[in-house]
Amino acid sequence: MENLKTLYTAIVEGDAKTAKAVAESAIAAGVPPQQLLNEIMIPAMDEVGRLFEANEYFVPELLISARAMKWALEVIKPHLIAGGAQPAGRVAIGTVKGDLHDIGKNLVAAMLEGGGFEIIDLGVDVGADQFLEAYRTKQVDIVALSALLTTTMPSMKQIIDEFKAAGVRDKVKIIVGGAPVTAEYAGEIGADGYSENASSAVTLARSLVGAG
Amino acid sequence: MRYKLISCEVFYREMCAVIAQAPHMVDVEFLPKGLHDIGAKGMSARLQAVLDAVDVTLYDAILFGYGLCNNGLVGLTAPAIPLVIPRAHDCITLFLGSKERYQEYFTAHPGVYFKTSGWIERGAPTGELSQLSIQHRTGMDRSYAELVEKYGEDNAQYLWEMLGNHHRNYSQYTFIEMGIEPDDRFERQTEADAAAKGWAYAKVQGDMGLIRRLLHGEWHADEFLVVPPGWRVVARVNERIIDAVPPATA
Repeated sequence: MENLKTLYTAIVEGDAKTAKAVAESAIAAGVPPQQLLNEIMIPAMDEVGRLFEANEYFVPELLISARAMKWALEVIKPHLIAGGAQPAGRVAIGTVKGDLHDIGKNLVAAMLEGGGFEIIDLGVDVGADQFLEAYRTKQVDIVALSALLTTTMPSMKQIIDEFKAAGVRDKVKIIVGGAPVTAEYAGEIGADGYSENASSAVTLARSLVGAG
Repeated sequence: MRYKLISCEVFYREMCAVIAQAPHMVDVEFLPKGLHDIGAKGMSARLQAVLDAVDVTLYDAILFGYGLCNNGLVGLTAPAIPLVIPRAHDCITLFLGSKERYQEYFTAHPGVYFKTSGWIERGAPTGELSQLSIQHRTGMDRSYAELVEKYGEDNAQYLWEMLGNHHRNYSQYTFIEMGIEPDDRFERQTEADAAAKGWAYAKVQGDMGLIRRLLHGEWHADEFLVVPPGWRVVARVNERIIDAVPPATA
């Protein structure tokens, strides 16, 4: 268990190389990958989220922890898949049409991935057709929309309306975020959820797929 | 008429040029451009404090040299005289002369970063506001050297890639020429910046019309919001951009 504690610490402290090395030796020693994920790695990222909410961690700390998590995940992923394990859910994420800002979107994607979700990153300037395509071809549970500008917020509504028009709005959860976006606006356009930051986006996504 | 203009300093040269020829008497107070970077709540609190400090017995109205500015105007309450605000997402609408022209240009060129004399002279946050900016408070404004010192070389490289370039998806500088510049120095500066980044460069003619109508008291309802005394500013995600609601409304 000493090693496993090292993995936990490596993720919390954002030490990707150690996280990867410890995950490799744990797998080699026969530790079940599901146990590594659920008992060590995800709790480590939850602790990172807690530290962020408590203003002890800032954006750089979130990012390096998420990176350490990702490196360890890459080690155990083939074993998880071989064991038939499923991700917490699949999220198609993108910055909406007309908006090219992606730091916030990338941060949310990194935190969701660290929270056990599989991420389909559609990039920036993403229109309804691309989100619909991702929904149709990738078995997406959640569609996550980002906008940094008040000028591009209407694109969020257009995308949700296109999901309605395609008759699939109730088959997928749609969440929204970004600096000018509010919970009130999320409600107004019929989104399933809003998160103020990347850390609480994980809690939100888990609650929407019933994994919270 | 006597007006009090409270304006972002990004319009310094434009406002001064129009005030000089305005048919009304206009007192002006410029506020730092860095208010834009401290977040909506911080910005509106500071603007409200400035509004509340205006001696309303001296003026017929207060004019705002601001757009919605990422919700930085949300929640502002007009004092005992009307508050006049352009219906604009941000300053670019005021430089281009109408929200329709801005929307049209923005839709056709999503990767454009605009430059004007004010953006060049006064674009970077300075003084105490630079310490209050969201970038600073979330740890996103650190230099590469600072990242290396705090997180080590390996993590610093990754963080620099993730946080170091806010404009990585931009591809063009557009200089908006307002006609009040002393010479072509700002235009040349923008062109040089574009070349240095390998971006495209374009120049468009600005339009002083909206700023002029603000200061001349020509407040058409589709271009300006006149907030009655005691009413509050709310954001609208439609072509109105902002509206005023009476005090009792939640």
